[in-house]
Amino acid sequence: MTKREIKCEQALRQLFQYIDHELDDTRREAMDHHLHTCHSCYSRVEFERRLKQKLGELKKDDADSKVRERIKRLLKSF
Amino acid sequence: MGISRQAFEEQVLALLGSLNGVARRLTANPADAEDLVAETVARAWRALDSLESEAAFRAWIFRILHNTFVSELRRAGARARLESLECDGADEEEAPFSIFEQMHQPFLLWFSNPEQEFLDKLLRESLERALAGLPDCHRVVVILSDLEGMSYGEIAAALGIPVGTVRSRLARARGALQKILWRQAREYGLIADTTIQKEKDSVR
Repeated sequence: MTKREIKCEQALRQLFQYIDHELDDTRREAMDHHLHTCHSCYSRVEFERRLKQKLGELKKDDADSKVRERIKRLLKSF
Repeated sequence: MGISRQAFEEQVLALLGSLNGVARRLTANPADAEDLVAETVARAWRALDSLESEAAFRAWIFRILHNTFVSELRRAGARARLESLECDGADEEEAPFSIFEQMHQPFLLWFSNPEQEFLDKLLRESLERALAGLPDCHRVVVILSDLEGMSYGEIAAALGIPVGTVRSRLARARGALQKILWRQAREYGLIADTTIQKEKDSVR
């Protein structure tokens, strides 16, 4: 089966869905194929993916023992 | 449907770090965040019958957290924050902005990669400041997607908006975040003059 070809404009339109794993298989495969052949779009996707990854690193387990104890007490009271 | 008491407790404790983290970013105050999480858990317990399946727990409890925060803002008469949280106007603002488009120079391909260098130099503090500078409704979708790793469907369920709105809002939020990062970089002199000229030519 021939892969569905997409152009840069379409690739850029769906790049966030691509890095967020929100494309269906057909669209994802078409993106993969395009990124293998288009260095500019590949670089853009890599940039957005790295920025997303850096944002992900801001997440920390933000429940200190005080909050945890309060919530445990609350759960026991139900 | 609901779930057992034990399953409820396990789910709450497993998600506590995430709930408190999101609450802190919404309230910008540890004590208020703690109160928001406690009120969320209490409301969730009372509304347990509305949970459709255990798999939907995360989106369901984040929806309760979001709604609880909105209720608190209403009670406090915080109109500006409510508008910011409900995205009044923020979804229609300005054209998408991309640091990559500002910096990428294909002719430098084998010598340098300015946009990757920008990311290499990007400090955690700068990202935190940029995230804090977003309108609430944009900050929330970035947090739920990029920090909490939620799918568009989960975010839609958590915020009570259509999946298509999540998609478009996330794209605008990321553009807005990059615009703040870009301005910060310019203020700190991290962007070369040639790049600034390129921005002047295309952004204005």
